[in-house]
Amino acid sequence: MSFLARSIAGPMIWAVTFSVVYALHGAGCALGWDGVVAGPVSLQRAALVGSWALGLIAGAALLQRLPASGGMRAGLPRAGAWTGLVATLFTLFPVLVTSSCDAARAPAIHLFTPA
Amino acid sequence: MVLLLAGCDGPLSTLAPAGPAAGDIALLWWGMLIGSAAITLLVGVLLALSFGPPRVRPARYWTHGWGLGFSLVVLTTVLVAGLWVGERILPRDDGAVEVRAHAYQWGWRFAQPDAEGGMVETDDTLYIPAGRPVDVIVTAEDVIHAFWVPQLAGKVDAIPGRRNLLRIEADRPGTHEGLCAEFCGLGHAAMRFELVAYDADAPPDALADAPPAEEFADD
Amino acid sequence: MTDATIGAAAGTGAAAGEIAANAPQRALGLHRELDRAWANAPGWRGQITAVSHTTLGLRFMATALVFFAIGGILAMLIRAQLATPEGAFLDTEIYNQIFTMHGSIMMFLFAIPMLEGLAIYMLPKILGTRDLAFPRLTALGYWCYLFGGLILIFALLGGVAPHDGWFMYTPLSGANYSPGVNADVWLLGVTFVEISALAAAVEITVTILRQRAPGMKLTEMPLFAWYMLGTSVMMLVGFPPLILASVLLEIERAFGWPFFEVARGGDPLLWQHLFWLFGHPEVYIIFLPAAGALSTIIPVMCRTTILGYGAIVAAIVALVFLSFGLWVHHMFTVGIPHMALAFFSAASVLVAVPTAVQVFAWIGTMWKGRPEMHLPMYHVMGFFLTFVMGGLTGVMLAIVPFNWQAHDTHFVVAHLHYVLIGGFVFPMMAAAAYWMPQITGRARIKGLGETAFWTILIGFHGTFFLMHLTGLMGMPRRIDVYPDNPEWIWLNLTSSLFGFVMTIGFALFALDLVLQAWLGPRSPRDPWRAPGLDWAMRLPPPSYNFASLPGPGRLDGGAQAAQGLARGEGLLPGAPRGRREVLVTGVGSARPEFVAILPGNTALPLGLAGAIGVFVLMMLSGLYWLTLPALALVAALIWVWARGMARGRDAAPVEVAPGLTLPVHTHRQDTLGRTGAVCLLLADGTLFAALLFGVGFLSVVALGWPPPELTGDPELGAGLIAGLVAGLGLGVVAVRLGLRAQGRGGAVLPAAAGLLANLVALACLGWLAAAVLDDPTRHARDALRGVLTGYVGLHALIAAGMAAFALDQARRGEIVGARAGCLPAWRLWQDFAAVTALIAGAILLAQGAGG
Repeated sequence: MSFLARSIAGPMIWAVTFSVVYALHGAGCALGWDGVVAGPVSLQRAALVGSWALGLIAGAALLQRLPASGGMRAGLPRAGAWTGLVATLFTLFPVLVTSSCDAARAPAIHLFTPA
Repeated sequence: MVLLLAGCDGPLSTLAPAGPAAGDIALLWWGMLIGSAAITLLVGVLLALSFGPPRVRPARYWTHGWGLGFSLVVLTTVLVAGLWVGERILPRDDGAVEVRAHAYQWGWRFAQPDAEGGMVETDDTLYIPAGRPVDVIVTAEDVIHAFWVPQLAGKVDAIPGRRNLLRIEADRPGTHEGLCAEFCGLGHAAMRFELVAYDADAPPDALADAPPAEEFADD
Repeated sequence: MTDATIGAAAGTGAAAGEIAANAPQRALGLHRELDRAWANAPGWRGQITAVSHTTLGLRFMATALVFFAIGGILAMLIRAQLATPEGAFLDTEIYNQIFTMHGSIMMFLFAIPMLEGLAIYMLPKILGTRDLAFPRLTALGYWCYLFGGLILIFALLGGVAPHDGWFMYTPLSGANYSPGVNADVWLLGVTFVEISALAAAVEITVTILRQRAPGMKLTEMPLFAWYMLGTSVMMLVGFPPLILASVLLEIERAFGWPFFEVARGGDPLLWQHLFWLFGHPEVYIIFLPAAGALSTIIPVMCRTTILGYGAIVAAIVALVFLSFGLWVHHMFTVGIPHMALAFFSAASVLVAVPTAVQVFAWIGTMWKGRPEMHLPMYHVMGFFLTFVMGGLTGVMLAIVPFNWQAHDTHFVVAHLHYVLIGGFVFPMMAAAAYWMPQITGRARIKGLGETAFWTILIGFHGTFFLMHLTGLMGMPRRIDVYPDNPEWIWLNLTSSLFGFVMTIGFALFALDLVLQAWLGPRSPRDPWRAPGLDWAMRLPPPSYNFASLPGPGRLDGGAQAAQGLARGEGLLPGAPRGRREVLVTGVGSARPEFVAILPGNTALPLGLAGAIGVFVLMMLSGLYWLTLPALALVAALIWVWARGMARGRDAAPVEVAPGLTLPVHTHRQDTLGRTGAVCLLLADGTLFAALLFGVGFLSVVALGWPPPELTGDPELGAGLIAGLVAGLGLGVVAVRLGLRAQGRGGAVLPAAAGLLANLVALACLGWLAAAVLDDPTRHARDALRGVLTGYVGLHALIAAGMAAFALDQARRGEIVGARAGCLPAWRLWQDFAAVTALIAGAILLAQGAGG
């Protein structure tokens, strides 16, 4: 059982991070966080980038802790950890570059500002 | 190629764009189509080659090289292109003309500025100035509908209780067709409308004759 | 088996997982002995009382094929209507019913039951056991599927079928815009059918985890089992949101509690979230079993082994998770901000990676081996061509701006047919060609299958390839006429013509199956020289699959292992005690742990499904008070069901191999039933989580909030909630006291205390509902409070029932010594009920404070 649990640990980290960031995004837009300034960016973006970073750190830490060799009993958990890390990186990188809430109202602070 | 493109023409065709958003998306489509055709061909060739004598490649060549490496490179490219186009065509806080589209079972009520800038109401025809970005505030009376003028931009749903925003722009004066894209019951197929893009210096008479817009249900 | 035969074989140590062989016996004698215990009853009674996975798996698949044919006929009606721009063939109302039913039938009555049937039939054979973990549950699932499906079909014949599209968007499907019974038919009928999906998911999971042949480690089990494990876990997590959504919408329609109605604080988008939270994983639930069949068939057809086993398993795990992060790509046009769309766009793109890993692993397998073009391989090639194109258009649709154009057009219709026919139907046809000799013991009639394949392939691509263009040229889904668009005519006419070609192809395919089963010549035992245990038996398979169960060293011989197993050289040979016995092994170790005795033929599943059917029909007729006696009947039958599992007598340990004697399941706490209960609670917990999502979603996103002030007495409310949680908590203590007193047979008192505690909790709950909660029709907040209370109440009621059952068992002396009776199951349930009640209570209190 612990083999299965270790194998899904990485994807679980992605699932939790994805859910938290998505929920925070919805809540932040509803509560107007994108209008609140937090340093160089909005509170909205700070919260999202922060939780994304936490997820990435958790994923990397998991990968560090897993043994590197030992056939499939070690391989599947490692593959799972990589899956989680890459998925967290890939699916949530938009927190850096896209418009957060209703674009018509939000300040244009993203990288993809049209010319 | 010209023949092919001519075959794709039509008053509702996304492949005959007449505005910047639809144009960007059509470009995206042609790019993705070429890439997809190449990948389909590639898979076909790889399959055909398998019918020769056995050829041993390490498992990682397939699972990591092709499976992970190749696909991640292709997919990242497509995703970034998509997000870039997506950001370009979003409505923005830049003083665009605002019009309203209110959907009901089964028809459209529009409000748009006339020559003097006052809002006037029309049924089943929306008037916008050509060459200027226009934000459509899309609302619904009863069930979910969707506002779509394929030659100008993508669609957005009209959902009871919500105000959705869609940016459209027509390059030139002309008439475009629009329809309700989300299934909305018995009258769905006939829930069409017209969009007239007029020369901003010469608003059509229909606008001058139209009654002033009344408040919409959810105002 | 006699004692003399046991000692004959040389015993070796069990330390390294070595298990000695039993002495060979006469195969015919063993067969007769086993058949007496395992065969269905003769005649029509046998069809009603059958619980055998072989019978029911085949029946699931055959029924699914009938529904496929009905769905196909509906598709032809659609194509006939669209062949010309002003088709006067169907009126709009009928047309709407037909496309709604086409989608609903193909999804819920064909694809899901088909894959369930394949798994139900194949898994025990592939894993080396005699039946699934819960045979009566298999039968219950089948009857629920059949009855639910019949309700939908009769509604179609009666002209009152659902007509709001297969995803039933509110408010169109709400009471205001769909008065009449149409939408109720969908909500109740489909939910009825989903009982079978959950039942199958539970037993597939348990069977794969606990009934693999000794020595078949998880890391070495056949890939089909990995795929089905992924599928079944996805079903456990994926179906509850749909079931919740259906229940909520039915409550809204029947009793006026608002969840989706804007004016009273609901939100139509809640329906969409819950529906697609199921709906997207559903696509992978359908694809994974098909991919499992491909991973089984391709290496055999190429005379080699699968390439990249580990990578494929990792890809399955990745798919299982990622597929739950895609649902919003069905909602790109509802007005969600671009960043949130971007998350789901990226996830939808990323999910193509594990799919690509599998596709390239299969191609690599073909390179490694020597592909032989037998009939299954034709369909595999059809799969590659079709599915790759469908996957690529899927990536296109994952791109937000393109999706804004293509969404709700025929481009999507084309895409989804490429994915579902490419990713499910072609692999299933490959599987049929591959396993038909195993199922029927007959070889096929040459030529017909190939003709069917080419006809289907040409018909399919002729129908759907150009349909992409139809969509890009602006034709929306679900319209019945297009008088003003002559540019679509040739496209639609072409699709319609080829659609009929495809239909002819499927008819030929069906004919091929029938002819093979009826007239085919006898098949050799190993027509494909395949290594799996599914071929290590007589063809067609006997009722018990294996006369003795395969163990270490006999797991990949294919048909070569059959003889030794038939002679009883494997484990647990024969049925000397006249019972249906299977081995239960450890999840990780695959070491044999104990012997489970499975129930025999019974009509109870039919009765229970019938009782549930009465409930559904009463709901449909609007005779809500008459649902109560139906529910009482359901409860009574479940009690009888559970009594069937209880065993009064002490069962002696069983010698399964020389030197290896194992206890019977009644003496263990880690029974199959307990693993099944864990699976069920996973689904139940997901349902609860989906409900919490609904509370959070409406509280944050919906318009029409804040709700009106609460009118109940807050102090009384707090007291009653505390009483409710305390009662369920005392139940948690009581069941543990019961387990402690089990050894000396002293569980009577704790069970009685647990029953009392749960009844107190129920009383508090009833009082809360009657005196404190506001009218649930007032606002979505009050409706959600009502549903939370109902959820807790139902769980407390079942907990009380289990406590009563334990009390009964303790009084009968069935809980004594090593036998725990229903206490372990009750403990699980009581813990779950207490925790969910605590959470629900906290939410009620928080809302009370805020109101």
